[in-house]
Parts: sequence; structure tokens; C-alpha cells
Amino acid sequence: MPRVAVVKFPGTNCEEETALALRTHSGVEAKIVWHLDYRWRDWDAAVIPGGFSYGDYGRAGLIASWSPAVGELREAADNNVPILGVCNGFQILVEAGLLPGALLPNAGGRFVARWVHVRVHNPRGPWLLKAREGDVYSMPVAHAEGRYHVDDVSSVTADRPWIEYLENPNGSIASIAGVASADGAVLGMMPHPERAVWPWQPPPGHGTGGKMLFESIGLALKRGW
Amino acid sequence: MTLSAEERRYAEEKLGRRLRLGEAALLEATWSEHCSYKSTRRLLALLPREAPWVILGPGRDAGVVELFPDVALAARIESHNHPSAVDPYNGAATGVGGIVRDVLSVGATPVMLIDSLFLGPPADGLSRWQARLIVRGIGDYGNRIGVPTAGGSTWFSEAYRGQPLVNVAALGLVAPGDVLPGRVEPGDVMVLAGNTTGRDGLLGSSFASKPLGEDDSGAAIQVGNPFLEKLLIDALREAYERKLLRHVKDLGGGGLAVAVSETAAASGVGAIVHLDRIHLREPDMSPVEILVSESQERMLLVPRRGRLGELLELLDSHGVEASVIGYFVEEPRLRFLYRGEAVAELPVDLVVSPPEPRRDWVPPPEAPPLPPLDYPDPVRFLSTLLGSPRVASKEAVYEAYDWGVGGRAVAAPGYMDAAVQWLRDSTRRGYAAAVAGNPRYTRLDPWRGAALALEEAYRRVLAVGAEPLAFLDNINSGNPEKPEQHGYTVRMLEGLAWAARELDIPVIGGNVSLYNEDTDGHMVDPVATVLVVGRVRDVTRALPAAYRGRGPLLLVGAETQEELGGSEAASLLMGDVAAGAPPQPRPWAEKRLRRLMERVVSEGLAFSAKSVGLGGVLAAVAKMALRGGHGIHVLLDRVCRCGAFAAAYSETPGRLLLEVREDAVDYVAGLAEELGLSAAVIATPASKDTLSVKYGDTLSRVSLEVLSESYTRALDWLREP
Repeated sequence: MPRVAVVKFPGTNCEEETALALRTHSGVEAKIVWHLDYRWRDWDAAVIPGGFSYGDYGRAGLIASWSPAVGELREAADNNVPILGVCNGFQILVEAGLLPGALLPNAGGRFVARWVHVRVHNPRGPWLLKAREGDVYSMPVAHAEGRYHVDDVSSVTADRPWIEYLENPNGSIASIAGVASADGAVLGMMPHPERAVWPWQPPPGHGTGGKMLFESIGLALKRGW
Repeated sequence: MTLSAEERRYAEEKLGRRLRLGEAALLEATWSEHCSYKSTRRLLALLPREAPWVILGPGRDAGVVELFPDVALAARIESHNHPSAVDPYNGAATGVGGIVRDVLSVGATPVMLIDSLFLGPPADGLSRWQARLIVRGIGDYGNRIGVPTAGGSTWFSEAYRGQPLVNVAALGLVAPGDVLPGRVEPGDVMVLAGNTTGRDGLLGSSFASKPLGEDDSGAAIQVGNPFLEKLLIDALREAYERKLLRHVKDLGGGGLAVAVSETAAASGVGAIVHLDRIHLREPDMSPVEILVSESQERMLLVPRRGRLGELLELLDSHGVEASVIGYFVEEPRLRFLYRGEAVAELPVDLVVSPPEPRRDWVPPPEAPPLPPLDYPDPVRFLSTLLGSPRVASKEAVYEAYDWGVGGRAVAAPGYMDAAVQWLRDSTRRGYAAAVAGNPRYTRLDPWRGAALALEEAYRRVLAVGAEPLAFLDNINSGNPEKPEQHGYTVRMLEGLAWAARELDIPVIGGNVSLYNEDTDGHMVDPVATVLVVGRVRDVTRALPAAYRGRGPLLLVGAETQEELGGSEAASLLMGDVAAGAPPQPRPWAEKRLRRLMERVVSEGLAFSAKSVGLGGVLAAVAKMALRGGHGIHVLLDRVCRCGAFAAAYSETPGRLLLEVREDAVDYVAGLAEELGLSAAVIATPASKDTLSVKYGDTLSRVSLEVLSESYTRALDWLREP
């Protein structure tokens, strides 16, 4: 069975539901791994879940991006190991330079938690294996620093896989909710797929949009992508 | 100092000597109203506590009930009123931190936060500022520790101008066999873990035990560190899993002094504590300051025998500082030492048994009668009502909270009448919690108001299809030394006790916040905040409060009477004035509704459900329609044989709205009638975008868009930075 590491930093708080979603919807062995113990060669993929690593001191994701775990993640990325960063995990990947752009404080100046719809563009790679161009998925966002910014928008949207908000909750440029590496192996996104996998989670008008990502990685790790 | 001259005399007589400085400070902390409940202890004894499913009743850091044979639910509620008035951001934030540690202390994993806010009028700039900071404080703390804030209530009134009330509650999960029994033995070692001890919050508990304005010194305010709290939570969860701990106690009001005293008293032992062994933030602190500091994020840990080394290693690996500070002894005396010198040396029973003060009370005045009012057309009035800050959507509040962290949330706040969470195991089992409290009712009639608060929280838990198991109460009231204010406290607790016995529901914890009066001696509107927790057998059957447009709405429960006294509608018509007697409590109807809902849920007869509360039937119907995005046609004359306005806005308790399967309407109505409840179809699905109301020969109509504008925009100002 493929093995996926859920990397936990001090202050990470979405690791348990993420590991559960991986076990039940990806059909992989998922383990919560303390950041100091993470060695990329031991795992087939890694997920950096949401939370407030190091209390978001400085900037969200900043201090965690200095952790030795991020050196391991860089090597993993160089070796085409699938990596997913959700919310604070996305912030860490961006701070570490593994993904382009920056995540700034929300335009509204406040934390915002609500269900949104997102659309997938240029799906490619292990995390979006089951998505088709333009597919729309429901999942919630919950963050204070999620306003994506990149100087050259087309560098993100032209060819990379990326995810777009239908209702932009934070003022992100071009309504960007998530960005991947060119081959899609490294994906970062602000919305929480792990909170949208069970039928009782979405309110009326929304669905279990997060399942697509978990089913994709499960399939990808078993059959390739 | 709140240690009164009589109290000092009492202590010195018992001891046969003068009190040392440290001893006076110790007694000031443990004898404070906040920690000792000395003015209300006898009244709290009126509340029923017994039920076979209660594992821990009131008295410990949190109460615990059996949810299922293999899972128990821990809960606690507490106020942070005084700190939130002086420093809204930090006061509210540290309230969250404290309540989470309380739940953690009984061995549980914190899984839900709920808050009840009573705020000043939105028209007042200071009140708006306080409201924003309180919401931000709760969010910043709760979000960072990864405990979802999933429910609550928000009230606005002139009575809280400059003096808001902040009540916070937490829920936790624990296996019944892992609940910490709360006992230590002589020879057990004490570890103080977490934050450094500093000068913040010196004797905050006694600050909260007197009116505001007497001493608003900043030193009594604590500042929170949610990142450290998160490390503490993770460390303790691992320590519980590895069975390293025998006893845990939060350092809350009164700091170390109270945590050690209460632990020793509960176990009938004494303690020796070396204050010089504690890790400090400010090295020049005096021993007395160390003893009563209320620095946040600190916990007293008592390891099982032989596990101290492992515990210290574990704490260190999580980045949590810890000091071994003393041990428990057989002789029931508390000895706090500093470099070998006694700072305080007192018998345990004296420390935890303050002389009971004499508290006189006079019955609160009767509610002024409701004056004759010119009732407008109920449909035209609906926008005004839905735009009232008390009735309006609280999305601007809860979207600032991470209600979804943990992945346990069922739906999202606003979609259900109670917060519902899934156990997140291999089953579909879950639990529900709802909070209620209407200060206008309790101001007009504290006895009825408190009873109605319990009824409403109970009914909200029913509305989602859950079975109520227990309640917790937070009494917010005035100065117990003033008989005319203390009367409200007495009557609220009496009303609550009566309703609890009628509903057959045990109390598992609570909090009393007194001295809520302003600098001129005016009491805020007193209020009983009541939290009811319940069991959900199958979360996929939990009912949303959003109209699905699939069937008619059945109004079931107590027969609607013209009860506009203390109602939202009447108060708005009078320009935010409270008058008239609040509705008659009807616990009998709630109990019957419970039996009805058991059938409705297990047989899958309803699509959605909502409790009728503030704003009456028409507000409830409108909210359901707005949440569901489905038009609806209301048959107002079917609600009651009273005027149109009363039919729409009367606040008779004991009523639920059920969206029932078309083919099951007669069946459900029949079940209700068998139980002695009224039932009537009062609304049917209509074209997508309107709410229409028929009363006699008149038909009025309003678009959902217009209603939505009032309902969803009223609190937009909370979103401003």
C-alpha cells in the first residue's frame, strides 16, 4: 500500500482529519509525521495540512519554511514526489519557494471561514488526476492570510494547473485559490479538501468536492500519473 | 482587597494569630466570589444533578456525561465579563483559553467552542469597537488552537453599553474509563507546565468579584498565547494516551493558590509548594505575586507514580516548559514556601471554606405592563424585525471563526438550530449543543426568563434531531451585596431549577458572574445563559433549519397564545423598550416535543426543522426560507385564534416548525395530537423568490431578496477592520 506522510509542525491543526481522508478516500497508509522526523525517501507522497505553524509569527508559514523538513520537501519535489499543501501548508510551500507567488492578509482584513465553489484549470499530475478542465468543486476556506499575489498572473494561469474561486473570499489576484508546479506534482491550495469528503459535511447547495483530490492521489500512487 | 474586614477577623480567630501577607492574598483568591461561589452556593444546590448518564457533575473543571457506552462528552461554560469590558480583545481571547484548559483537565480532547455575547448598541461607537475586538479575540485564539467555534448567540442592547458580557463554553470527548477521577495521594508530585509566571492578571479573580471602576488596573488583565496553548493541548493529549497523568488542573482564577487548594481539598490531603522553583517571566517577582499570578496557559500536572521523568521528557519534546514545584502530603495543611521561608501556611479546610456571607434579597419588581400598541401589518414589519441586530444573521460573527477545523462539523453554523458534530470515528454518531439566554426576559421576570432559556436551548437541540442529555448554566447578574440586585440572581436560579426538574435534565456545571454593574451602580440586564448538550445517533439524519421547498411546514407544540410581553416585535415597536410579562414557560410541551422528534427522526419524516423563538413564527419561517433559498406561502390564520400580529410574532415557547413529507403530514399531526400537542400546517412551498402571507382575506407578499437585504446586512459593520 502506498505510504503518505502528513507532516506536522508545532501549531499544525488539520493533521488528523487529513490523515483520515487519505486513509478512507485515497486508500493509502497515512501517518502523521513530526516535522523533525520527516525523511522524504520513506514516503510516496507528503501532505502539509492546515493550521498555524509556529503561531503564524512573522508571516504565516515563514518560520516553518526554515525547518529542516522543508529541505527534505525540496529534495522530494526534485524527485517528483507528490506534495500537497493545504491552507497553512500552501503558505509554507510558497514561503519555501516551492511554489510561486505570495499569500497576503485577506482583503477584508479578517479571518474568513465559509463554503466556496472552485474551478479546476489545466488539470495535470497526481492530485488532479480525476478532474477535467473547468470542473467545479465545493469545499470550505478558513484563513486570514489567503490573498494570493503574483506579479505575472499569466505565469501561473497559462500553463500550470491552477484552481480558481467562483466567489473570491479574500481578494486573490485572478481569483487564484491554488497553484501547482508545471507538472502538477506539487500543489498548494487555500480551500480545505479534507473538510469536504463526507456527505454530512456540506450544507445545502454544496457537495463533497474534496473527494476528487483524495481519490486522485490514491489512484495516482497505485497506477501512476 | 476584597478580603473583607470580617473575613480577615474570621480567619485570624480560627488561626489564633495574625495573617501573613501571603496568607491574606491566598484567602483573597480562594475566598473570592469567582472561586468560592460563597453567595450562590446554597442556590446552586437547588439545581438537579442526578442522572444515570452523568459521569462528572458540577464541581470539577468540567462536567462529563455518557454520550454512548464508549464515548463521553465533557463540557464547561464560564464568563469572562470583567476582563472583556476593560480589554475586549485579550479578555475574550483568554476566556477561550481558560475554558479549553478546563475541558482538557478532566482528560478530554477539546472539540468545540461556543460563545454567547451580550454587546452594547450597534449605534454606539465604543460598543462597535468592543464587539469587533471581542469577535477578533475569540477567533484569533480559537482558530490558532485548532478548536472550532461552532455555535453561539449574540445579543445587543443599551444595557451592555461599555459593559459587554462574554460567556464561553467548550466541549470535549473522552472515553468514559479515561475521565480523570480528580484525586491525588500523599507523595504525588506536582508539575507546573506551560507559560512562564508573570505579573499579568494578579488576583484577577478578585477583580472580577467587585464592580467595575473600583480598580480597573491593567495588571488584572491576562494576555493570551494561543500558540503555547496549542502545544499544551498536543502534549497533554499524548500524555493521556500514554497514561502518564493521575490528575490535571487548570490554573484559572486565583492561579496556583486556587489550583493547589482545590486539588488538596478534593482529596483530603495537604501540599508543600516551593514558589522559588517556578519558571518566571519576570525574575524579580515577589513570592506573593507568584502565588496569585493569573498568567495564562499554565496547568498543574500530577503524574502517575514513576512516570515523572517520562512526563518531563514529553513536555520538553513538545516545547512546553515545566517545573517540578512540590508534592502532596498527608497532613491537610497548605504550605507555600519561598527559599525555605513560609509565605503561607494554612489548614486546607479554612482555605476552601469562606464564612458564608449574609446575602439579603428582595423580589425584583413586577414587569411593567405592555402598553397598548398600534400593531402594523405583520408582513410590512418583517424587514424591520429581521434587520434587528438580535434577530439578524450572525454570519459576520461566525465566519471569523474556524468552525470547520477538525473535520467534525456537520453542515456549517447558521444552517442548523444547534451545532452538530460527528464523532469522526467509523460510525455516524455525533452530538449537538445549543446555547440560549434572553436578557430582556430575565430583566422583566428573572424566574421565567431563566426557565425559558433552558427551554429554548433544549428545544434547539431537539430541532436538529438530537436527544438532550444535560445542561450547563452561566448566571450573569448584579452585586450580591445589594438586595435589590441579588434578587435577580436568586429568582433566576429558582426558575432554572424548576424548569430543569420539569424537563428532567441534570446540570453538569456552571458559572456565576456577579458584580456586573457599572461605575454608577447600575446593574446590566441580568441573564442566564444556558447550554444544552445532546446525543445524535446518526448525523446523516440531523435536520437543517433551511427550508428545502419539498413539503409543507407543520407548526407543532404548545398552542400559540397572544404572548407579546418582552417579545422582540413589541420591543422594536416601542423603540427598544422592554415591557410586559415574558411568556409562560411550558416545559411540558418541550418534553412532549422530545418524544415527537424521536419518531420524526427515526422514521425520516422531516426534511428540515426549526425552533420557534425570538421573533416568533414569522421570523422562524422567514429564516428557514432565506437559508434554503425557497419561496414560501404562510397561512397566518392557522397559527392561532388571535390577531395577525400576535400570530406572527408571539413568542409562546414549546413550538417547532417541521418541514414534513407531503404524504406524512396527517401522520405527524396525528402523532403530535396523541401526545397532547397542537399541530397545524401553517405554510406551503411557493414560487422561488417570495414570501407571501395570507390572513383572512388579505394576501401580502415580499420578495426574499428584500428580506435577505435586511437579514444579512444588519451586522456588516462587524466586518469592518
